[in-house]
Amino acid sequence: MASIFEDFKNGQKLGSGHQLAAALTPVSTSANPGRLQSFYYFSNAAHLSSDLRYSLFQANGIRLPKQEQNSWVDIFAAYWNAVGELVRFEEAPSRASWVKVFNAWKETANQLIRGYSTGGLQAWTVPCLYVVGRYLRHFARQADAELASQESDGFGDGFQDDVASGLEKNAKLEEATRVLNRMFTLCLTDRSPIEESRKWGVYDTTNLLFKTYFKLNTIGLSKNLLRALNAQSADLPDLDAFPKSHTVTFKYYVGVIHFLDENYAEAEQHLAEAWRMCHRSAMKNRELILTYLIPCHLVTTHTLPSKKLLAPFPRLEKLYRPLCNCIKTGDLGGFDAAMSAGEEEFVKRRIYLPLERGRDIALRNLFRKVFIAGGFEEPKDGQPAIRRTRVPVGEFAAAVRIGTHADERSRVDIDEVECLLSNLIYKGLMKGYIARDRGMVVLSKGGAAFPGTGV
Amino acid sequence: MSSTQPQDKAEPSQQPQQQQQKSSVLEEDDEFEDFPVEDWPQEETEQGATANGTDAHLWEESWDDDDAAEDFSKQLK
Repeated sequence: MASIFEDFKNGQKLGSGHQLAAALTPVSTSANPGRLQSFYYFSNAAHLSSDLRYSLFQANGIRLPKQEQNSWVDIFAAYWNAVGELVRFEEAPSRASWVKVFNAWKETANQLIRGYSTGGLQAWTVPCLYVVGRYLRHFARQADAELASQESDGFGDGFQDDVASGLEKNAKLEEATRVLNRMFTLCLTDRSPIEESRKWGVYDTTNLLFKTYFKLNTIGLSKNLLRALNAQSADLPDLDAFPKSHTVTFKYYVGVIHFLDENYAEAEQHLAEAWRMCHRSAMKNRELILTYLIPCHLVTTHTLPSKKLLAPFPRLEKLYRPLCNCIKTGDLGGFDAAMSAGEEEFVKRRIYLPLERGRDIALRNLFRKVFIAGGFEEPKDGQPAIRRTRVPVGEFAAAVRIGTHADERSRVDIDEVECLLSNLIYKGLMKGYIARDRGMVVLSKGGAAFPGTGV
Repeated sequence: MSSTQPQDKAEPSQQPQQQQQKSSVLEEDDEFEDFPVEDWPQEETEQGATANGTDAHLWEESWDDDDAAEDFSKQLK
């Protein structure tokens, strides 16, 4: 990352939105530790506009239409103020404040938005929106943390303060969502021909809002974005025409939104696509995708992650393996223990509900073992052997005793076993009926007793 | 059912404060990260990296036919 003016010059000369956006990235780097300082001290409040006009355009030999040039000067003037607040953290920490940084940055964002809506900024510069939007979120969170710590210093005790601060603890982040929303609309509603449209920025700005809504726990608002995108879908390019960083992130969040609505089939579709397109070395993101994809698979196709799949993700292996093992072996007691051992983590990641459905699969596998243990009927002349399809309810009761680790003497209630059986039959995991008067379960013949499992 | 359940459940309530701190830290790194590059070729995707383009072999059936059925059938009686 070169100096701010160099980045601006290169971006404009090359027509590279990312190079240009680098100019608006408010950090110093190890290669250029004085990057922010030297930008801040190149001018002062009295001469800022004319200095900017010179350093951005005349000195670089860049000519733009007057209106566009004025927009950039306004944007960089707001940016200069924000950088001034940032520089203070190094030079006068006692007077530095993240709230001030946020406010100044919000002004930068507003100037940028104005530049696009009425100031003639061209669509290829849209990566500037991504960078400014990202740092808007970042500074908002810093500002909220700063406000929270000031509050707890001021009024350390008393429950009432806790309640009040709880309600407003994300005040700046909420303020940020309103600005991000305007960025989203700015991209979505651009009517220019698609080659020069801000529509290319629509998924990236959507993702910024998704992340923010998840953070604020107002995930329901994401659906407004999806509705708006849907309404415009005829005018949007296909998703796979967008850069993968935009689409993978988008697919992940859409998948999780469906997941939380318990639409596991749809969730799986989106998450699987995110998984397939994700960059191989983005370990953290791959882990997050799998965290939700695994419960989806369990619910929709009843399949489990292999050791090979989870090998690169020890945390997921630890989270899911005990459950998977119990499901496979039909170990109901072990399943319950694993659910309660992982409960805190499952609830926090909001995966408890679908995982709980794994118990039916564990039970199915346990009863399937009863069926297989029953062996075959005497083969009638020449016919291939068929499995015994009339199984006493008592055998299933014995299996439940084994599966729940109940001891020899404890009674397993036959009514309860019948209830478990009829549940599995109702859910289509098992095919047959209970002949109560004979104490028998009569299962489907011809490899259809436990649909999809080969027997 | 299992006797371990009530015991395990009792544990979390003993140290609520500690847990709250822990979970807020975890929340931070729960967020989907920005990718360091904007786009990448197919070869660098998960799909491109698997030989035949499918990851079917990474998911396995949920039941297990390996365990000794005989043992189990003895136990059933």
